Amino acid sequence: MTAPAIEARGLGKDFGSIRALDKLDLAVHEGEFFGCLGPNGAGKTTTVHLLATLLKPTRGTARVAGYDVVRDDLRTRRSIGLVFQETTLDRDLTVEENLHFAARLWSLPGRLAAPRIAELLGQFGLLERRRDPVRALSGGMRRALDVARGILHQPRVLFLDEPTAGLDPRARRSLWELIRQLRRASGLTVFLTTHYVEEAEPCDRVAVIDGGRLVALGTPAELKRAAAVNSLEEVFLARTGHPLAEPSAA
Amino acid sequence: MRPVFGIVVRELVRFWRQRGRVLASLARPFVWLIFAGAGFATVFTGAGEIDYRRYMAPGLLGMVVMFGSLLAALSTVTDRDAGVLRMVLVAPIRRSTVALGKILGATLLGTTQAVAVGVILLSLVQLWPGPQSLLLALAGVVLSSLAMGALGLVLAASIRSIENFAGVMNFVVFPMLFLSGALYPVRRLGSALQALVYLNPLAYGVDLLKHALLGGWRGAGYGGELPLALDIAALVAFAVAGLLGGAALLAREGGVTRTAFRGGA
Repeated sequence: MTAPAIEARGLGKDFGSIRALDKLDLAVHEGEFFGCLGPNGAGKTTTVHLLATLLKPTRGTARVAGYDVVRDDLRTRRSIGLVFQETTLDRDLTVEENLHFAARLWSLPGRLAAPRIAELLGQFGLLERRRDPVRALSGGMRRALDVARGILHQPRVLFLDEPTAGLDPRARRSLWELIRQLRRASGLTVFLTTHYVEEAEPCDRVAVIDGGRLVALGTPAELKRAAAVNSLEEVFLARTGHPLAEPSAA
Repeated sequence: MRPVFGIVVRELVRFWRQRGRVLASLARPFVWLIFAGAGFATVFTGAGEIDYRRYMAPGLLGMVVMFGSLLAALSTVTDRDAGVLRMVLVAPIRRSTVALGKILGATLLGTTQAVAVGVILLSLVQLWPGPQSLLLALAGVVLSSLAMGALGLVLAASIRSIENFAGVMNFVVFPMLFLSGALYPVRRLGSALQALVYLNPLAYGVDLLKHALLGGWRGAGYGGELPLALDIAALVAFAVAGLLGGAALLAREGGVTRTAFRGGA
């Protein structure tokens, strides 16, 4: 096995007196589909932002794609793609313009960017909408474009922070299909956060997080076996003593 | 440099898409020239020495620069609100690169608008500067745009929400305009207000433009009130300070997301 794609050691973050993340230890392997399951406010987004160099850890260290997230923040950011909870697209620009903007931000030379963008537009079913402003797209299409933007520079690790929030069931299914194809085609490491149990089921391994603490880690099958229950939902209940709150309108 | 180019291109495309903004920016100085010009001309004591509308020309160009460049850089606030800023900040570039792109984009917008307005404005008030004066005026416009863009970025990176935008307009933009020498000579203000003038980047820009465009009235005291070198040095200092300050503010934690402050909802 090669060096882990993501490695956190005692990683923690406080916001003032609030301990958003206590001390996280985990290693995500190259090519793994890793899920981070927990209710809202558990520390999932904080974890992603720490690993993506957008926050500075209060304690501990982390390496992503082999780079220290504090000392090598630029190289870390070059190696990762990040799809935020809320869209980061410029709604006034067209689909194509958004991708070209991202390509320039990631310093992709024009001769590489143009074919790559054409490829992604085809792959994500956006070819016919490429000259439409993003504001004219459906939520599902915007999300697809967010993901396309996230992998434009062919990152080694893709972070998906609650990617299906606000999507209807059909858009969700097509998004998961896209992610599946992507993983199969490129061996991309995917770090997913979610509060939907069913979205964590297909993951290779799942970290269950609650109140800023890692409460369980393993394959979905292992977790269920260890807790002697049948669903990840019950794993959560068994480990924390309270149910994984039904998602509010996110 | 490609990321800087990308940020600049986006600013230009967005501006061009907002036709209303383009028209307003081009019409605004002429509205001032006609209405404020008519009113102030009646109380202007230098009327025997210089036509008031001619006196206004450098100030109006300064105003175009201010609205063009400052507001462009202030758009960083809407970028944060719309989430676009996060896409920029997760890119593998330094915060100073982001700041530079924003400021250069704002400078280009401010300069273009000022040049477009300037061509019409100077002929309307019948100012015909020579090539050297025109070059100096262009330099003044560029430097003022840089300083205004830098100030706009610092403001945008400091204010957290779009609701504070109106406050900025009332407490920054208008005082800056009135304390710039754009509408009346600074030397006639009280000493407390004069002190504020020296803190105002726009004042140095307007003064530089007066050096360039009203050189013929220098003897009468209308061709720039400060040394030219001081104007240039002050504008450069404001631009550099704004660039560094803006970059530092963007690099602050939570500059990236609002959710970060909520402890990761």
